Amino acid sequence: MVSATPRAEGAARSAVLSVLSVVVLLAGWEVSARVGWIREAFFPRPSSLLSQFQLLLRDGTLGLHMGATVGRLFWAFVLAAVPGVAVGLAMGVWRAARDTLDPLFAFVYPIPSVLFLPLAAFVLGRGEPARVLTSAVTSFFLVATNTMAGVRQLDRGILEAGIHYGATGHNLFFKVLLPGALPWIFTGLRLGLGFALIVVVAVEMVGAERGLGALLWLSWQTLKVRDMYVTLLTIGFLGLLTTYGLERLRSWLLPWQPKTEVRR
Amino acid sequence: MAELVSRTLEGAGSPTSASPKVWVRGLSLSYASPRGPIPALENVSLSVGAGEFCCIVGPSGCGKSTLLRVLAGLIPATAGEVHIRSDGRDRPLTAMVFQDYALLPWRTVLDNVAFGPENRGVPRAERYRIAREILAKVGLSGFEHAYPHQLSGGMKQRVGIARALANDPEVLLMDEPLAALDAQTRNLMQEELLRIWSQFGKTVVYVTHAIDEAVLLGDRVVVMTARPGRVKAVVPVDLDRPRTLEQKGSARFAQLYNEVWQLLREEVGVASAEGGGDG
Repeated sequence: MVSATPRAEGAARSAVLSVLSVVVLLAGWEVSARVGWIREAFFPRPSSLLSQFQLLLRDGTLGLHMGATVGRLFWAFVLAAVPGVAVGLAMGVWRAARDTLDPLFAFVYPIPSVLFLPLAAFVLGRGEPARVLTSAVTSFFLVATNTMAGVRQLDRGILEAGIHYGATGHNLFFKVLLPGALPWIFTGLRLGLGFALIVVVAVEMVGAERGLGALLWLSWQTLKVRDMYVTLLTIGFLGLLTTYGLERLRSWLLPWQPKTEVRR
Repeated sequence: MAELVSRTLEGAGSPTSASPKVWVRGLSLSYASPRGPIPALENVSLSVGAGEFCCIVGPSGCGKSTLLRVLAGLIPATAGEVHIRSDGRDRPLTAMVFQDYALLPWRTVLDNVAFGPENRGVPRAERYRIAREILAKVGLSGFEHAYPHQLSGGMKQRVGIARALANDPEVLLMDEPLAALDAQTRNLMQEELLRIWSQFGKTVVYVTHAIDEAVLLGDRVVVMTARPGRVKAVVPVDLDRPRTLEQKGSARFAQLYNEVWQLLREEVGVASAEGGGDG
């Protein structure tokens, strides 16, 4: 059954459930490590990871590497989102653009983006531009494809009504096509942001001195298990924060979307 | 879009004598298909007087909605002429109320209603004043800032009607506006339509498949044939105005209902034998 849940009650319940699952997992881990069910050498206790996290934060290690990652993530996302939305809109509106680009997309999109690093480094030199560009490739396709789908799925009746009530040319684009596609554009942006983070970290592992990916690789090579975990979790939190940030932006920008939930 | 429907100025142009508001002559329309053209409308002629409420009924797929879309300038006719007489003021010839509302979900009620004037360059304060005034008249005061998904079907269609009225058209076109509503709401909305129409005095072309609705609302009921749609008969409705729902119980109403139904039932038989689609 689909019903709009009583907003506050539903939200509170989801929040409790989300926090509870994390708490249970961490508590189970802590106890298992203390009792000796799992080996601390491989799975250090959450409490010791917390103190290690504080240490790395205080001595500036984490800030240095996280700064590098966030910077790259930002530019990769911008580089994917801006042309992605533009190309996606063009593909949604013009059949010619769709026919031209569709085969190219189908060919390039499945190639794992990290593989573009050598090519990008060869053309742009071994530096930030090559890393950022590589990180943007897959996200670009995700944003463009979703944006195109958003324009294409627009209800014909709404489009007809828009035209009938005098929206033509740029009015039709900005007042009907673009707002109608926005929910899909946001879905593309969310997927694109997640993918950009994945590739940024992967690129840092293979080709950077700074960044959370580089720190992870370094910790592994020097067998600093706690540092490894702390880095891994930090990457996870970074993904969580950016994704939720984008979701907040979405519900602020799209107050017109019905918030329905499927309940049994 | 206006070039598909010609705008005839008051006292000029081809339709003379009685000078109807809407004048359709020999209108035909066929859709292209791989197996050749499929006729949807054939030689339809019709005139609607100024301030008249004209209902069109016909079996599913007879092209009554297509006829309305031609009047709206949304699709071109294959042959024939359509004239709409303008009183010379700068305003759109037609405004359509759609069956499935077709509101813009990302706009509030107020911005949906102000949409037509906005596209015609009416300044913000002025178009909001118009929109608020009309929303009050259709009973939606207090819902200006709601979004369409927060409204019931009946309220959504009030917004659809308000949007059309805000554009102040020469002719109001309504394409089965109550078809998506439940029976009780439909009855209430029929009464609402009578009230709103008497306030605004618009010329209305109203497509429906509900005979009781056509008889209750219309000054005339135009009955169309099964596909390809032609005008089969025109039934004048001589019920007193202002009308109320109670008139549905009168003997005269039953007579008119039966007259339309007898005309229609042969056509419905033809349409269902062919298994025609909608449109």
